[in-house]
Amino acid sequence: MPAQANANVVALQLEKVRDKVPLLYERDDILLTMIQQRGDVEKVSSRNMRLPLQVNPGGKAGSYNADGGDLGRGSGTAYDVAQVSPIFFRFAIEITKPVEYATTGRDRAVENATKREVANGMKQFRSFLDKLMQTAGNGVLGTINSVASTTFTMTVPYGAALVYPGQTIQIYDTTLTTNRNVAAGVTTTVLTADPVTTQNITVDNVPTGTVATDVIVHDGLTGAQPVSLFGIKYHQNNATTGTWLNLNRATYPIQLQTPRVNAGNAALTPSNVRLAINKVRKSLGINHISKLIAYMAVEQEHAWENLGITVSQIIKEGGSDGNDLDLLFSGRKTMSGIPIKSSVNADQTRVDFLDLSHWGRAVLKDIDFYEVNGNTVFPIYGASGGIAASYIFYFDTAFQVWDDSPRTGAFIDTLARPSGY
Amino acid sequence: MHESRNRRGTTNRAPTISATSPRLRHRREHAPTRVLVLRESHETPENVTRRLERAGGINRFGEPNYRAVWGWNRLAWIGGKFEEHDPATGSLLRKVVELRQEPKYPAVNRWHIERWVGPEAYGSPRLWYAQTIERENGISIPALGPYPSRGEYEHCFTLEGPRGEFLQLTPTAAEHIARAIEFSRHLPRSRKRSSVDDRERREDRAYDAWAYDQLDNAVPAFHKQPFVTVG
Repeated sequence: MPAQANANVVALQLEKVRDKVPLLYERDDILLTMIQQRGDVEKVSSRNMRLPLQVNPGGKAGSYNADGGDLGRGSGTAYDVAQVSPIFFRFAIEITKPVEYATTGRDRAVENATKREVANGMKQFRSFLDKLMQTAGNGVLGTINSVASTTFTMTVPYGAALVYPGQTIQIYDTTLTTNRNVAAGVTTTVLTADPVTTQNITVDNVPTGTVATDVIVHDGLTGAQPVSLFGIKYHQNNATTGTWLNLNRATYPIQLQTPRVNAGNAALTPSNVRLAINKVRKSLGINHISKLIAYMAVEQEHAWENLGITVSQIIKEGGSDGNDLDLLFSGRKTMSGIPIKSSVNADQTRVDFLDLSHWGRAVLKDIDFYEVNGNTVFPIYGASGGIAASYIFYFDTAFQVWDDSPRTGAFIDTLARPSGY
Repeated sequence: MHESRNRRGTTNRAPTISATSPRLRHRREHAPTRVLVLRESHETPENVTRRLERAGGINRFGEPNYRAVWGWNRLAWIGGKFEEHDPATGSLLRKVVELRQEPKYPAVNRWHIERWVGPEAYGSPRLWYAQTIERENGISIPALGPYPSRGEYEHCFTLEGPRGEFLQLTPTAAEHIARAIEFSRHLPRSRKRSSVDDRERREDRAYDAWAYDQLDNAVPAFHKQPFVTVG
């Protein structure tokens, strides 16, 4: 009987934790997983999922002459259909020979190594998808402000917030037409990223022709005007041209437009917030904002604290005198009464008011290990065609995010960042 | 329709029955009275007002820096084009351009603590109108009403439990909140920033620990290690 290969032991361990993978993925602490898989559209086929939308009300109202007058004709509600097609995403994890040496023959060690790789990989995959949720549906993770050798200084927003060291990226021109990596025949990997201070990223290869204003997109996208996950900036958008879920924005310029407040590069103020909230109330009804959340970067949460009208995070952590009344502060932070959800991935210059009851995920394939004929762990082959000293497994999922009522939200953009960021 | 208010400010309205058939009239006359509470208003107790004034002091106009308000009582200007929908069907009934006073906060059945913010925080009147004027059907209307020349009270805190349950307003709680906000106001910005950053790191670590626990649950007890009874 041949000796058991370590890859087989890893596969066995992966199988043991397989039912935990959806649990690790679906924990609703990030925006992506706060958007529920909706029961009515939980599973979609590879064809587009169709979302019927009431775009215009029906009926003809008016007065009439009861003394034999003509009451006129009526009309019906106008509907159109938005369409969503899922995108496949994967996350590849490789286990190399040193891990095998550290774990040979000991089940407990293999178990720990596998556990570590699954937990870390899932965390990173969720983070990647949550970063995509911040984008405009084209996979753009950042814009290059300047290039110095292999260092890119990135424009805020997003700065260097949406990439991570070790990530394979592609560089496109500003119109998303020319893929510079394909043109130059090179692969670019992020070596370091500083999303806090300098907003610099360093890479291993800079494709020929890379200039300031070029954009960085994630790995796997191809062709001109690539399509990725439809994030916040895709749905919460006040554009009146272009397309939204296969509908022409110009056809429904009012219905598909999310109310916007332009802060004009000034700091966040209570009146910005009231303006944005009131826009939602005016379009949906005065009492229809109870489901809103205020989604923002930690920078804007800090800016709100700086206004001096809220309880600081320090107090919420029981940093005052720690008496029973501090339980008052154990609830959620609010912005003018709207619960705050902040994220390190969110646009640093923007506050979005979201009603997540109108958002959903159309899922074609639930999160799981990628499987071929029952195998979840695969060998790596070297350049010679021989076996390489590592093996690989993947997480994969296919879904798309939709919002059936873009007017239900609002956003404040072009906000100044507080000093120190 | 009969409508009445009690001393606490609760507005009650008897339900209407429009039909006049003898059977419905009999039902109406013998059915138990049903009262619909439309809105409930409360005045802030005097002792709460005093405690808040003691905790936060007074502003340049001699008014308290902090006040407690009941959600239904706190109205604010909203101007622009309103779309009114049928509550039953959600269909659009009419559009109207006007300036209204409506409850300022979504939680209308809760107590809120507010802090006074000086007029300078809202910029100049010219800037205010430049930012807030909306034009609908040829009518210019200030979306947030007139310029707050005497400042404005802004939302600080909604008095409710961790799961959103109602909490009664007491002088002690109100004063505690005001003092906590005053304490926060005097913290250095760098400390406030680091506390937000620390929270993010803590949440990150909490996910790691939780994920490891979940994966531990997937393996056999004692990680399949043999064990013997000791003793």
